[in-house]
Amino acid sequence: MEPGEAASFILREYSKCMSCGFCEAACPTLPFGPHRGYGPRGRVRLASLAVENGSISAEGVAGIYTCLLCAACMLRCPAGVDIVGVVRLARELLARGAIRAPERIPLRLVG
Amino acid sequence: MSKSRHSRIVEILRERLGRDKVFDNPDVVSLYIREPEGISADEMPDAVAFPESVDDVSIIASTAYKYQIPIYPQGSTTSLSGSAVPFEGGVVISSSRLRKIREVSIVDSYVWAEAGVRIDDLNVELAKYGYMFPVDPASSSVATIGGAVNSGAGGMRGAKYGTMRDWVLGLTITLPDEEGTTMFIGCKTTKCRQGYDLVRLIVGSEGTLALVSDAVLRITTLPENVVVAVAFYDKLSDLMETVIEIKSSRINPYIMEFMDSKAVAAAAGYIKPSIRAEGNMLLVGVDVNYEATERMLSTLRDIMAKRALSTYTAQSFEEAERKRLLDLRRSLFPSQVLNARRNLGKDNVLVIIEDIAVPPSKLVDAVEMIKNVSDDLGFDVVVGGHVGDGNLHPSIGIDPEDPAMTKRAHEWFLEVMKIAVKLGGTVSSEHGIGTLKKEGLRMELEAHGAAKALEIMRSIKRIFDPKGILNPGKVV
Amino acid sequence: MASASPLKALLEFLRDSTLRVGLPVPLPMEEIYSWALPLRLPRMGSVILYTGALYQLMPYIESLTRYLSALEGSRVSDTLLRLARILIATPKLTRTLLAPEPARVERARRILTNISRLLSSSGVAHAYPYEDDLYSGVLLYDLGLDDAFAEVAGRVYRKLKEHGASTVITVDPHTTNILRNVYPSYVDGFDLEVVNYLEVLSRAAEESRIRLRGLVSEAVIHDPCFYARYLHIIDEPRKILERSGVKVLEPRRSREATYCCGGPVESVAPRLASKIAETRLKELAEKSKNVVVLCPICYTNLSRANKLGLRILDIAEVVEAEVPGSGSPQ
Repeated sequence: MEPGEAASFILREYSKCMSCGFCEAACPTLPFGPHRGYGPRGRVRLASLAVENGSISAEGVAGIYTCLLCAACMLRCPAGVDIVGVVRLARELLARGAIRAPERIPLRLVG
Repeated sequence: MSKSRHSRIVEILRERLGRDKVFDNPDVVSLYIREPEGISADEMPDAVAFPESVDDVSIIASTAYKYQIPIYPQGSTTSLSGSAVPFEGGVVISSSRLRKIREVSIVDSYVWAEAGVRIDDLNVELAKYGYMFPVDPASSSVATIGGAVNSGAGGMRGAKYGTMRDWVLGLTITLPDEEGTTMFIGCKTTKCRQGYDLVRLIVGSEGTLALVSDAVLRITTLPENVVVAVAFYDKLSDLMETVIEIKSSRINPYIMEFMDSKAVAAAAGYIKPSIRAEGNMLLVGVDVNYEATERMLSTLRDIMAKRALSTYTAQSFEEAERKRLLDLRRSLFPSQVLNARRNLGKDNVLVIIEDIAVPPSKLVDAVEMIKNVSDDLGFDVVVGGHVGDGNLHPSIGIDPEDPAMTKRAHEWFLEVMKIAVKLGGTVSSEHGIGTLKKEGLRMELEAHGAAKALEIMRSIKRIFDPKGILNPGKVV
Repeated sequence: MASASPLKALLEFLRDSTLRVGLPVPLPMEEIYSWALPLRLPRMGSVILYTGALYQLMPYIESLTRYLSALEGSRVSDTLLRLARILIATPKLTRTLLAPEPARVERARRILTNISRLLSSSGVAHAYPYEDDLYSGVLLYDLGLDDAFAEVAGRVYRKLKEHGASTVITVDPHTTNILRNVYPSYVDGFDLEVVNYLEVLSRAAEESRIRLRGLVSEAVIHDPCFYARYLHIIDEPRKILERSGVKVLEPRRSREATYCCGGPVESVAPRLASKIAETRLKELAEKSKNVVVLCPICYTNLSRANKLGLRILDIAEVVEAEVPGSGSPQ
């Protein structure tokens, strides 16, 4: 996908999110992550912020790359947000350098 | 807050708690400023802290007191009243790392769990013993014990089992004072007369009085079986007659849910049900012993079918799942989102959900009045709710980018609350006051000649939180 | 606890290896196809069994992950991954260096052999592309390396066509999904019919074209995310197991609501992957000591975290064709 297209896809999907958090119940990574960025509600928000700002923090990158793409969250989302699509396209934008990111990525775990 | 003060506070907290327990980068902090219903802080708080123990909570409280930093306890931010949104800067305290179930005691009928344990996760554990924690807000898959305590949550089983205030035996709380005083209040026994009932004061206080780290909760047995019946009625009054007849037949349902015909139509459009879904829906579940299944189901079927357009039954929850009898009720929320998108012609919509309760005998009047008010304000309202306890969740979809519509939505919100007060009900049943319903709370108390109660509440707030740093701007 | 991930170096390694060698871990291609040699499958045919190399690669990816895991957080891992570029030029060295347990390598070969036999016994003749049984590029797609993925997808498609394919039979959820649902948007004129062997086998069993027998009497099933939620291949494995006389037990989270094994992040965040696997294993253990998995990634990640002594088996290790007169199952 073209970077522009990917960016608008991410923003459009985020605009659907009502932040109800139901997706978080199904996410396998969230309970072991240090913050909400390791869960679907957080990841969608992180991706849209990254697109808006053209950059992302190391914590944000960790959230984006720890997603399993397992799609369990999408069964729960009442707003039909394509969470997996958002995460994958955020990775694409990062890989292309369309979103600036720090070189070293911290991976923190709890529990 | 100034930049230097901000970074100093973050440094102090990091030093006292450990680096990995405090995050201040804007990416992460921005994940903690928003609730559904479009409630969001304009100003970013300074940091999010993740206590991992009661001691951590105490450190945060005393630090906040010393430096006068607003603090906001947060679970999964699903209150729907804005009660967990950090409006005045400061530090969000997330309960997400307080997720141990400390003890399950069947003989003493309680479970002791930390604030960040999700209700459904708690129930997965309790089910292993044949027990449950019966308070089941619609968000129970993510709603935390701490959040449910703070918001005084209820749920579908409210008519039978009540709300949080009926199930909390004891709490570990921390005060925002010099020492970050931490104490256990209440008992581990069901009967408990410990002077003034501070436990019930904290339950539903929305994090404005103390920080809750863990709770001792009553538990009860899982029902052996639940029979389920769904029926559709042309007139709402027929549905209410049916409810009255069920209650008069010495049946105390496990759940008793209703959706008006518009909500049914929206949900049916969403899930393409296998049953004929037209009219106002009544969904009833009755807990029974296995041996009574047939008898109860036939009694229920007879009562519900009498006035209905169509009736469907299931011998158990599992059968109801297979027959997809619960799907319409479950899709109430997503179908409203879709409906709003269709009506407004855009993806970015907001679904506003009200939370009033009226005496069940007034339900028909209430729905009628809500429809009229909504028509007057130009909103397409759908109404669903817990018919057993009179708790209604009328909802509308709005365009958050349309200021005029947002203003009308506020008006609608207020009008619906007025209806509740007029019919002898309450403005908030289970979502709380937060920021959204402060006006409603005042209105309700004044209507009862209880304006003084608000003053008492404010005095109580000052005793617990003299510096006014704990979840400021909420409730009172 | 914090540690740093050599994310960028890892991505580059996966990309370069897949582009140059055709595999995300640079190995000699004979590691991928040697399993098929004894079966004497034809090289050309309209029905091609395409493994996408996933079963064969997993033992090597597992050792690579073990290395990365040990180095997680240290700066050495960057350096090592940079050195790994040399490996891409000399795949034989990788094999020696990673040296997975021979039993694991043998196991993958056995599973693929059984899958091929099951297909043949069902009356489904198939060819095999041998040195062209390239990796599908799933990881590149998942990690957002789209340009590289597009190149890989085009190459895989051309190779399959060169072997005469009009139908491709896949054997794991990730390869099935990427070919069926993703390749069409990345490969111009993509015209292959993609069927999964579980679909073929369950139909054959239903139509009594094959008789199956099971090697365990009961097992709890672990649905892979991609079969359950992306492909809706849910009833097929259950039918196959039941027809084989295996009693299928359902874990608390199963079918569409299945819980991930953690495997997809094992290269980026191995400790996270283990924690998720441990959570899942506890849940599976509540139902049975025998766990049936349907995906090589699930197998690897769950086995790595298996401290409960569960018997984790691929469905193709549990089910085999009943050859008339071969006696009863053990």
